[in-house]
Amino acid sequence: MTDPPQMTEDEFRRLAEFLYRRTGMVFTESKRYYVERRVWERIDATSSPSFSVYFAHLRSEVRDEVEQLINAFTVNETYFYREDHQLACLTTDLLRERVATKRPGDPIRIWSSPCSTGEEPYSIAIWLLENWKDVDTYDIEIVGSDIDTCVLEAAAVGIFGKRALMRLSPEVIARYFHALDDERWQILDDLRQSVRFTRVNLIETKETRPQGRFDVIFCRNVLIYFDDESRRIAAENLYDNLLPGGFICLGHTESMSRISPLFEVCRYSEAIVYRRPEELRRAR
Amino acid sequence: MPDNSSKRVLIIDDAALVRAYYRAALEAHGFVVGEALNGLEGLEKLLLEPFDLVIADINMPQMDGITFLRTLRSKELPVSSIPVLVTSTEAGPHDIAAARGAGANYYLVKPIKQETLAEYAAIFCGRPR
Amino acid sequence: MPLVRNPTPTVEPRAPDERKPVQVLASGSDEERWIAARSAAETPEGLSLLTHALAVERVPRVREAMFTALAKIATPESASVALPYLRSEDAALRTQALDALRAMPAVAAEHLSQLLDDSDPDVRLLACEIARALPTGDASRVLGELIEKETNSNVCSAAIEILAETGDVASLPILARCAARFPNDPFLTFAVKTASGRIGSSER
Repeated sequence: MTDPPQMTEDEFRRLAEFLYRRTGMVFTESKRYYVERRVWERIDATSSPSFSVYFAHLRSEVRDEVEQLINAFTVNETYFYREDHQLACLTTDLLRERVATKRPGDPIRIWSSPCSTGEEPYSIAIWLLENWKDVDTYDIEIVGSDIDTCVLEAAAVGIFGKRALMRLSPEVIARYFHALDDERWQILDDLRQSVRFTRVNLIETKETRPQGRFDVIFCRNVLIYFDDESRRIAAENLYDNLLPGGFICLGHTESMSRISPLFEVCRYSEAIVYRRPEELRRAR
Repeated sequence: MPDNSSKRVLIIDDAALVRAYYRAALEAHGFVVGEALNGLEGLEKLLLEPFDLVIADINMPQMDGITFLRTLRSKELPVSSIPVLVTSTEAGPHDIAAARGAGANYYLVKPIKQETLAEYAAIFCGRPR
Repeated sequence: MPLVRNPTPTVEPRAPDERKPVQVLASGSDEERWIAARSAAETPEGLSLLTHALAVERVPRVREAMFTALAKIATPESASVALPYLRSEDAALRTQALDALRAMPAVAAEHLSQLLDDSDPDVRLLACEIARALPTGDASRVLGELIEKETNSNVCSAAIEILAETGDVASLPILARCAARFPNDPFLTFAVKTASGRIGSSER
């Protein structure tokens, strides 16, 4: 296979500016070679005769091309304790805030949506058990939701391979999984049953509403791919699903600045997290 | 080159060419430049990195410059008092009053000469020319 | 181990509001008006309700939900309800209106030529953003036509910003003529130079 034709500097700038506007992701000159290769893969995949034609196609956002292109740049594996700085933020900061007005035994509801094959909601459960001193004090409910029933079925079964567990220590694996064979581990029944899995399309208010209101929502790497109208509707749905003062965490390359003005922006530790404003007391 | 070294300016404007134009002007005068595309991204950048000055447009998607200013000034954080220079194509007294009322330090009407921008940046970063 | 509970559904379904949407939008709490606005797109008289409610609504997130409802309705009529807010003295309202139009690009486009012809340069400037959502060739053509007759250099610059993304060889002489017409606008000069560079290199 011959070397792909090179992108000119100006073509790269056009693309980088478009992607920055659309997603917030920054592609500097130093990433140019890497970006070029991925773009030429997509030019090939879409049978585009040139970069110009491909760029017009990308701009029109048909057939999720923005998502296809971004997926070509990002590592898409899901695994336990992925983005664990957000899990750390959860126990160090977010839950501390949430329980400030709760009494022992009060519920804490956490939503992982989309949850894919379950790594995220189970990670939250394991992390809390391993790291949160108050894990027994409150009535914790973890819900995992996805639009795809196949991944939900897999999540409910809770069988994972080596790569999914690569960030977990042997002690943690021994505590929460049992080995089915050399290649597969299954989450222990007790933990499996403590996460509820539901099918939800984030754009459908009829489906999001019944999930109720949460203290913390993890909604990673999905909103940014919706079109303008769907992004607004999904953001409003998520706002509706948050308790006043509740938090929502996005994927580390995502920002509400490309999605919705509804949420307050907060910084905790090294993370940016968003919040539904607290209810104002009526000043009368 | 005038010594504006280590002074950091955040440019908040949804037009890529405007950001490039301001960046060229400021870097030529030794400033370090950060960028944001709207008020919300501007707030995020200010929460994550230190800056000495903000130059903000008014008409931007998701969060306009006036709302950005009000939100910034209402947070009780050290960064809330950072100098903010508002730039806009709008030149009416209402817009200028709105910017001042929201906490802008100064208001420049577009189009702005690169030299002018650099001068005002130096002043608001504490280095009179 | 703790955390092991069979989670019982703790969700109480919210009792549906018995009042008519028009009553809720007139006199409900912020939250109630927000919920009513969100579902207005599904009611038959939704557009009329939203038109009146938007004119008096002061709470930003309720207004935002009303604009989202207009975008969901997505008809030339619902777009025309958003249009007048582009002229608002309130920057937040202008942003909300433009964002709503961005979320209904096909119907917003039907109003584009009227907007690009508006007597107010501030409106023409914001309208350029609506052109950004057009297919690449159409955006370049429409904005090229605008630039050729535009007398306000800031409006030209807004159009040039978009041509830097969408422009083609046909845009180059238009840009050059524009720079010649406004030699005293330093930003416009820079914008033409940069945009021409972007366009010129990709015609291969």
